[in-house]
Amino acid sequence: MTLAPELSDRVLGELVDALGGEYVLTSKVARMNRARVPAPFPVHRWRERIPDLVVMPGSTAEVAEVLRVAHAHRIPIVPRDGGTGLTDGAVPERRGIVVDVKRMNDIREIDPVNRTCTVGVGINMLKLNEELAPYGLIYPDDPASYPCSLVGGRTGTSGWSLIGSRYGHSRDLVLSFEFVLPTGRVIRVGDGGGAKVSKSSSGYQLKHLFMGHQGTLGIATEATLKLYPKPEAELSPFWAFPDYEAAYRCVQQLAHAGIATFAGAVLFDEWKVAYLRRDDEAYIPQPADVRALVCAVAYGHEDEVRAGGRRLMRIARDAGARYLGDEISQGDWAARHDRYATPLHGRTKSGQVAPMSWHCEDAAINYTELPQVRLEWHGIVERLRERFDVFDDWGMFCYTSADTGVDYLTEIDVGIWEQNLDDDAWAAWVDAKRDIAEVALRYGGSISACHGSCREGEVDLVPMELGGGYDVMLAVKRAIDPHNIMNPGKYGLDRAYTSGGDV
Amino acid sequence: MTESHAHSPVTEEFIAEWRNASYSCFSSGHKFCREVCPVMQVTRNESWTPTAFHANVVAMEQGELTVEEVAEDYVNCTQCGACELRCPNTLFTGDFYRFRTRTVDLVKQMRTLAVDNGVHQPGYRRWNMLTDERTHEPVLGEVPVSQEHVRDWSAGLDLPIGGETILFVDCEAAFYRTSVPRAVAQILQRAGYEFGLMREQWCCGGPAAEMGYRDQARRFAEHNLADWRASGVRRVLVLDPHDYITFTEDYPNFFGDDYDIEIVLVIELLAGLIEDGTLRPEIPVERTITYHDPCRLNKRKGIWQEPRQILRSIPGLTFHDVDHVTQWSYCSGGGGGLPVEKPELTAKISASRLDQAAKLDVDTLVSACPWSERPLSEAGDARSVDVVDIHELLAESLGIEVGGSRGGGGGV
Repeated sequence: MTLAPELSDRVLGELVDALGGEYVLTSKVARMNRARVPAPFPVHRWRERIPDLVVMPGSTAEVAEVLRVAHAHRIPIVPRDGGTGLTDGAVPERRGIVVDVKRMNDIREIDPVNRTCTVGVGINMLKLNEELAPYGLIYPDDPASYPCSLVGGRTGTSGWSLIGSRYGHSRDLVLSFEFVLPTGRVIRVGDGGGAKVSKSSSGYQLKHLFMGHQGTLGIATEATLKLYPKPEAELSPFWAFPDYEAAYRCVQQLAHAGIATFAGAVLFDEWKVAYLRRDDEAYIPQPADVRALVCAVAYGHEDEVRAGGRRLMRIARDAGARYLGDEISQGDWAARHDRYATPLHGRTKSGQVAPMSWHCEDAAINYTELPQVRLEWHGIVERLRERFDVFDDWGMFCYTSADTGVDYLTEIDVGIWEQNLDDDAWAAWVDAKRDIAEVALRYGGSISACHGSCREGEVDLVPMELGGGYDVMLAVKRAIDPHNIMNPGKYGLDRAYTSGGDV
Repeated sequence: MTESHAHSPVTEEFIAEWRNASYSCFSSGHKFCREVCPVMQVTRNESWTPTAFHANVVAMEQGELTVEEVAEDYVNCTQCGACELRCPNTLFTGDFYRFRTRTVDLVKQMRTLAVDNGVHQPGYRRWNMLTDERTHEPVLGEVPVSQEHVRDWSAGLDLPIGGETILFVDCEAAFYRTSVPRAVAQILQRAGYEFGLMREQWCCGGPAAEMGYRDQARRFAEHNLADWRASGVRRVLVLDPHDYITFTEDYPNFFGDDYDIEIVLVIELLAGLIEDGTLRPEIPVERTITYHDPCRLNKRKGIWQEPRQILRSIPGLTFHDVDHVTQWSYCSGGGGGLPVEKPELTAKISASRLDQAAKLDVDTLVSACPWSERPLSEAGDARSVDVVDIHELLAESLGIEVGGSRGGGGGV
């Protein structure tokens, strides 16, 4: 286990020499504000996560220098991009140095002919798309945090996109990236050697390895991205159903339709509809007999979307759906898509309104297992709610991950009244998260489709999920990061340095 | 474990007032505010974001931070209000709770709390000390401004003193960009609109309030209100968006129901005078322009239509407009005292704003805020984009020889 050493004046001096004093932040305010992400955590334990130092490098060379210094002195490093992640990859568990990459947000090349661009990883997707608009191009990586998350964080977590059934997710859209290893060595990782290549069979496929590692293997600094023509048309029909089962059947028929412009479908269960009806000002009220909703989205040229849309509408109608009309469809998709899909407050058991933090589970589950997972998950939250009056069940969304309906990002949203979250409630929450993860695995799924599975509770089950693959993870971690400086404590990877790790 | 801090009573009171609003930001963890924040755009420093400004209060409540530790960070804000508009807490819970995110208020109150605790930023302290001495802001740098020169801008216009309606001219316009009040006064004369000048005008007090010197702000407000009352003023015309905020938000907070002065924004008045045919801009102004939505009109007050109505009434202009929602993320960097403490950030923000304008192939950026025009002009010079005030442009189209200065000397 690597222990955080006291940062000596010498280390500080080396970092100031490398970056300039302006970008080496020592104040407690600067450090506290880089100890947090949206993942729930008891406020009274904030102090446990404060790093020793924050640096804001402006180039790959500066990141490399910081890592060389850290490697030489055995200092923990935690990369921080947007800090918008719903797991706690960017949270320092062993103090050390937070490497905040937001200054590296320049656009280095736009190549409209090959349809790529190359950017510093500190850039936000919405801002990038403002610059791509004059070329008629978009970078379609589109999480709920689209207005604030950054390309580097999307790489480090291997993010999921709301419209990924059409355009792919971060792993498909990031073609290659510059990556600083824990020793300070800089490599380019992609599909093969070329920065703009989208398919290669040359050597090991390292791109996936260096995406989604939650900062445990190094730091991406520059990325080359795949661009698409900006779609002319958007279609987002919303349909109502009298019960969950009908909606559940319909969503898969939409996913199975094989429509090229299909960008995704979402299933809202009864708990979700009830919650929106109760507490969401953006929700347009529906009659009481509406108990489940489905929406589908399609993007592309106008003529394609129109034709595909007619087919989607016919499928839904035949499945017993009631179309909610153009106004609700456009407005509701705008609300779900352009903002976080939650009102940010909930209720205690007695119905008192309370400001609540949003926690979102994000298992990957096959279509056939969704109904059972749903019931077991709601049961877990219900039992939690019976014991502690700081939790609220905000219902479930299920989103297609692919264009075939094979699996769904399966999300249960739990409101947590953080102001009143004490040690007992937190311990119960961690247990509940472990139970939620256990259900996902029991039904043949994965603990996380996009956020990462390194939070307390669920992380205990990662070796079970990955089996022998977890042992490979330990071996890889030890080989790439011999002194365990990269985000130590995450994913239980400390055990690579004691026992285990032999493949 | 870090030791907990004991706060002063005034700090405890502040924390109690802000704890729930701060938790609402802290616990949601969303950061939609970040990329629209002008300071964040040029510094990329997460310590200087609306989220951090709220989180710090939570840390203070936990005994982790003191006002001494956080005060300096709060200079990094232009109080433009973009973050409030973009906040999911405003968007989603606004109607339900009657709640909205109030970052601008938080920043103002934190700066006040710092001053109340004896924590001063050197630039702010000097600026407000000089303002107190001279009853006007030191907008000319080393050249003093003073009471006997506050009406110099109006030389030769033969404006009366006093009357039911007076024109209030902010310090920057009265001493630095004197072409703006000259344009306004002459347009109103052309329209036959009766108004006078204030008897003894002091600074509105708004900048002191923005920087945390609330007692001084209140003294200035009391002076101005007493002067208005003593000379029978019922209506105050305002040409500067910052004054408009001060008179419609700070003064009512100071004086409550006793405050019965009607505040009229000149932009809205002129748009009405054009619409009813009283003013007819007929002389073509051959410029290719875009319009800069001043933050305090667009983001703080929702006023974005009237300036566009005025610009569309001026013949000869080629107008490449950028919609007001896109402009939520634009700012000159000139507000909220930022140029007093961090002139280098103001310059970067203005440069970034001019880059947006230059992409539209315009020769002119039109603003409606004298405080924005100094930093924007400096950035414009480097890009060959002229920065013009909307009132100056309208006057030109009405055939008025404005006179005055667009910055620098203050003489006519």
